[in-house]
Amino acid sequence: MASIAAAQVQEVRSITRIERIGAHSHIRGLGLDDSLEPRAVSQGMVGQKMARKAAGVVLQMIREGKIAGRAVLLAGQPGTGKTAIAMGLAQALGPDTPFTSMAGSEIYSLEMSKTEALTQAIRKSIGIRIKEESEIIEGEVVEVVIERAAGTGGARVGRLTLKTTDMETNYDMGTKMIDSLLKEKVQAGDVITIDKATGKINKLGRSFARARDYDATGQQARFVQCPEGELQKRKEVVHTVTLHEVDVINSRTHGFLALFSGDTGEIKSEIREQINSKVAEWREEGKAEMIPGVLFVDEAHMLDIECFSFLNRALESETAPIVIMATNRGITRIRGTNYKSPHGIPLDLLDRMIIVPTSPYSHQELKEILNIRCEEEDCQMSADALTVLTRVATETSLRYAIQLITTASLVAKRRKASEVSMEDVKKVYSLFLDEHRSEQFLKEYQDEFMFDDGAGDAPQLMEVTQ
Amino acid sequence: MNDQARTLKYLVSVEKLAEEILCDKQEIVMLDKRRNHNREALRALTKSSQCKCWVTIGSVIIKHDIVATKFLLEADQRQLNIDINKLRSDLRIKVNNLRDLEMQPPVPGLMLVPMSSLESDGLAKAGLFK
Repeated sequence: MASIAAAQVQEVRSITRIERIGAHSHIRGLGLDDSLEPRAVSQGMVGQKMARKAAGVVLQMIREGKIAGRAVLLAGQPGTGKTAIAMGLAQALGPDTPFTSMAGSEIYSLEMSKTEALTQAIRKSIGIRIKEESEIIEGEVVEVVIERAAGTGGARVGRLTLKTTDMETNYDMGTKMIDSLLKEKVQAGDVITIDKATGKINKLGRSFARARDYDATGQQARFVQCPEGELQKRKEVVHTVTLHEVDVINSRTHGFLALFSGDTGEIKSEIREQINSKVAEWREEGKAEMIPGVLFVDEAHMLDIECFSFLNRALESETAPIVIMATNRGITRIRGTNYKSPHGIPLDLLDRMIIVPTSPYSHQELKEILNIRCEEEDCQMSADALTVLTRVATETSLRYAIQLITTASLVAKRRKASEVSMEDVKKVYSLFLDEHRSEQFLKEYQDEFMFDDGAGDAPQLMEVTQ
Repeated sequence: MNDQARTLKYLVSVEKLAEEILCDKQEIVMLDKRRNHNREALRALTKSSQCKCWVTIGSVIIKHDIVATKFLLEADQRQLNIDINKLRSDLRIKVNNLRDLEMQPPVPGLMLVPMSSLESDGLAKAGLFK
């Protein structure tokens, strides 16, 4: 019996273990102190102090609502933590501020136009806060009495006694209330709420005081405290919804199911205008607050000239989110034109941006990051293995070194060692090529590959893919 | 010395406001208790077939006309409702002030005007209120 229980526990554990670990899952914030000074290693962030400090200033501006309709550009070489900083910013903003993350290439789809995709992304990043208020009666049921008057079809009369920790009172009930009480199977000891406007009854659970009434209870039995204070309460719930969600609900051809099926298609501009005017009306009446959120566009050089001019225009609207872009390109062609521009972004848009540069990590910082990743991936690494890995990161790239962590830990596991040693790292280093060695290999054997023109130059290959 | 006096003054102001909030909450509970008693009494009076009833005022019991008693109770109910609503809206401002004193950010959306029942019904049906 005990062994079966143990096996079940094991099973539950193994399910929780299969959480996937993302490339930036170790980031929990920007790692700043209260005066916006970056700590050296904090919340998963390492180094990049200037960029983080700049992001902290941006964060402060977003919180104060001062920056709506502006843009920030994170520019730096590959693997210098641009996406990490954006993720940290999203974490620091908290769940209440809408944060949309997209890659520049996401806008190219056959189902909707580029501008529609951008508009949707923009509207996903603007939240409105609205409040729902209802008068409810909340209490623990002391007694329910339902009597049928003599004769068939006689009107029923019912009495409900409710209590909180402070008071107790009786309610006489009509037929409708009796029906819904019977439907919900309310009995003495249940904690219920009754909506005053609609008469809807909601069972919250059973009172702790009645926990020992029966020896066996159903699995669903939930025990709650007896409510405190007054019986008739005012319940206020503040909801944060994005403009896009409201759009989807009101685009009639799809209905609200589109929210869950994911495919929303194009939304008519009339609907958006209607919603904008409704929201403006609510704001005037004090019923709604705007929360300008953040739209993060990774690989911004993948956007083309039409998108840039659209963004230029969209940033001027009064309900624009903060647009954060990240790019790893230097002076390059603007997509869709033959002109060259810094970061592949037209100068007029660049002019509206605050540009935050990120710089390559130092040796010590690389070591810290690898250490954090080892912890995140639950992998014990010996000190000399970490040193070797740091060297690999300096000579090849940080991403390659991070790839080696998991592979090396698998190798170590296979030889049943608890710790990853230097040999394991060396083994996976020989097993998996980094880009330099792969390139070298290609150059060496290029005659034996198919369709080879003998040039085999990396920059030329890049030109073709663009 | 000056610093100490200022700290003391600050603490006094925080404690005073916090005490007020607790008092108001207690007051709402007391008022709701009375509201429920009144409601029970009104219910009993409608069911009763007599034309007079006993009313306690403090420690005195008075025999009073039923219609007049009902009228009194209803007036009391109206006043109670007004008082409770007033306390609740004041409480909001006080909580905001207290958070301000304690250097905490204000509760998001605390001062919003609630949606009308028609609007919140529609939004809830559309699945926007999770």
